[in-house]
This record gives sequence, C-alpha cells and structure tokens, in this order.
Amino acid sequence: MTDPLEDARSPRDRAARQRFVLDDTGFDEVPKKYRRFYRKWGGVNDALARNEVLCPVCKVVIRSTRELRPGDRVYCMPCMSRLVVSVGEGGRLEALVAY
Amino acid sequence: MSGFLSAYSIQNWLESCPQGYLEDTQYGHAPGQTEPALVLDNPTLLADTIRTTVQLVVGERCALAASSGLINAAPDHASKAFLATQTLDEARHVEIFTQRLYDLGVKKSELESTLAEHANPNLVKFAEVLLEKVDKGDFIAGVVGQNIVLEGMAFSVFEMLQAAVSGVNPKFANTLSGTIADERRHVGFGENRIGSLIKQHPERKADVEKMQKEMAYHMLATFSTQFAQSGSAMQEGQRMAQAAEGNGAEAPAKWHGADLATATPEEMEGVLSDTVLKEFKVRLGRIGIEYQTPAAP
Ligand SMILES: [Fe+2]
Ligand SMILES: [Fe+2]
Ligand SMILES: [Zn+2]
Repeated sequence: MTDPLEDARSPRDRAARQRFVLDDTGFDEVPKKYRRFYRKWGGVNDALARNEVLCPVCKVVIRSTRELRPGDRVYCMPCMSRLVVSVGEGGRLEALVAY
Repeated sequence: MSGFLSAYSIQNWLESCPQGYLEDTQYGHAPGQTEPALVLDNPTLLADTIRTTVQLVVGERCALAASSGLINAAPDHASKAFLATQTLDEARHVEIFTQRLYDLGVKKSELESTLAEHANPNLVKFAEVLLEKVDKGDFIAGVVGQNIVLEGMAFSVFEMLQAAVSGVNPKFANTLSGTIADERRHVGFGENRIGSLIKQHPERKADVEKMQKEMAYHMLATFSTQFAQSGSAMQEGQRMAQAAEGNGAEAPAKWHGADLATATPEEMEGVLSDTVLKEFKVRLGRIGIEYQTPAAP
C-alpha cells in the first residue's frame, strides 16, 4: 500500500470517508510513486485540508487519499516516523509520534 | 524490535536519496549553478559568507565524527545500517560545504587554516561535549546529542539560511534543500530510536539532560558571537537584496515572523535562539527528556 494512512479505525469507517485526488506538488524527497502523498509545509499560516496532517518530527505535510480522523495511524516517509492522528489546539488535526 | 527499524535499510536510502533528490546534482546543486556576483564582488559579504560557511563545515565534521563513531556503539543492526547511511550523508555535507568555500575563493591549500581561523570557539566546545559521549561509546547520550540537539539546531539554521537566500542565491538554496531532506531522516531516527530506548533506560535521563544543558549553552554562545560579527554584512546584504529585488529578484521570505529583509542581527539572533530552544523542548519532551534551560552566555 502506498497511502500513508496505514490503519483507519475500521475498514467500514475507511470506506465511508471523503476521498481526495492528490496532485504531485513537486515534493521530491521520497521515491516517485510516493511523492503525491507529501508536500512542503508553508508555516503557521498554511491551512491543512481534511486529508492532511503535519509531521511534528520533520515538518512535512502528510496527505492521504482519504479524509483523516483522530486515532488513524499514518506513516511519514521523509523521516520514517509512525504517527497517530489526534485533535490538537483549536480542533486542528495533529500527529503524535508512536514509539 | 519495532517495525519502524526495517525502514532503515540501505536500499531505502538509495531510492530516496542518491537515486531521488540528489540525482543529477553536483556538490548538492544543479550543474552550472554558481555563487551570485552579489556575494563574490562584495568584500564584506564575501568575508561574512566564508565565515558562515566555515561554521557549517565545522558542524558537519562533528556530525560525521559522531554518526560514524556511534555505529559500533549501536545495540542493533538496523541502527548500525541507518548510521552508516547517515555517515555518508554527513560526509557529503562536509564535502558540499567545503566545496562552497572553494567556490567562494578559498584555496585548497588554505582550507585547514581558514577553518582554524574562523571556527567559532563556542561551536567547537559544543562539538566537544557531544564527541566525548561518542568516544565513550554512550549510544543513548550520543544519539540525543547528535540526532536531536545538533540536528535540531542544524534543521532550524538551514531553514533560516534557506529562507534568507531563496530569492538571491539559487545555488546555495538548492544545496540547502538536499541537506534539509537528509536531516529529516536524521531527526526522525533520533526521536524514534531514542524514544523507545529512554523508556527502557529511564536511569539515563539525568545524564542526558546535563549534556543537553551544556550543549544548549554553547549553542546560544555560538549564535550570539556569530550574529555580533555579521552585523554590517547582514545590513549590506539586505541593501543589496533590495536593489536586486528592484531588478526582478524575489524578496527574502519571512522566517518565524521575522522579516528577513529588514531584521537587525539582534532580532535574528533572538528569533533563531527562541525557535531552536522551543524545538528542543518539544523534541526532548516527546522522548521523555525534560529540557534544561542553560545559563545565559
Ligand atoms: Fe549534516
Ligand atoms: Fe545530519
Ligand atoms: Zn516526518
């Protein structure tokens, strides 16, 4: 599987989610077939979409073809971190590192 | 062993780095890119650029010594493989920043004397604290010092430099973006590997916190002396960048709220120090280490 969303809470939950078409934004730090799943972060004013979450370790935006929800496990390929999506300040989605 | 360690393979590194973003680069940038006349033709800017680049070489030589030294101290094979790739990354960083010194006019025969003359003594002390742990074969302290403290600092410094030069020096901006991409893996390894090791060895925390406090002290002292030396060059650079902007060049970006086109050296020192210390706190907190505030240098 290439999508960084590794583990949604349940398969049915995954199917019911809004889908997103990802374009290649020019992020070249991972092998070609994974490039559309990541993009550079534009800093604090960069609003994330519902299928996006910021990697707190390497500050790259992780993008899934599905909407992300708290509890999801995602993989950040640029820094090789496994993360869990959670709700942060102001209701914004955040990723926590799963050691 | 945790599953994430399987990503630390040489194959993975080959595909993302040399066969990925470094493909077709020469010394980290596109072939044919050169340092801008803006820097080469202005003695104040040139001297300051050389001085800054010397600190990058000194920092990367330390990272090379640390990552290679930690291979034999690593408790598992996946970590050894990762550190072997990091060793090559750091050797490459030493090489590309050294090449930049040559591009700026430093003679090969004068490399070591140029480094010795301009190396910031505080940065040298920062490196010594880390390398002492590495020499003792202390894997946990070594990885925290290298992959969280040193890399955390490098990450922010590279990002700031990249924001500052993005409009005026595509060659150096290019060199930096490949370096930042490498550092993402290094900080990722630091946090992920040590996060689980600290859980297993909570008795090591106090020692690691002491080292972090010392390293942070020397880092702040490095920033303050570097920015104090760079004052006139920074202002000159800003003036010239403004002139270049009139000729169609991009304006330097904002970085963590500071306007790089107008910020004073004191402001930049403040923003950089705050940013790096905040990052330290958050990164160390995530792996279960309590950040220790150093005395003001
Ligand atoms: Fe490096
Ligand atoms: Fe590094
Ligand atoms: Zn990441």
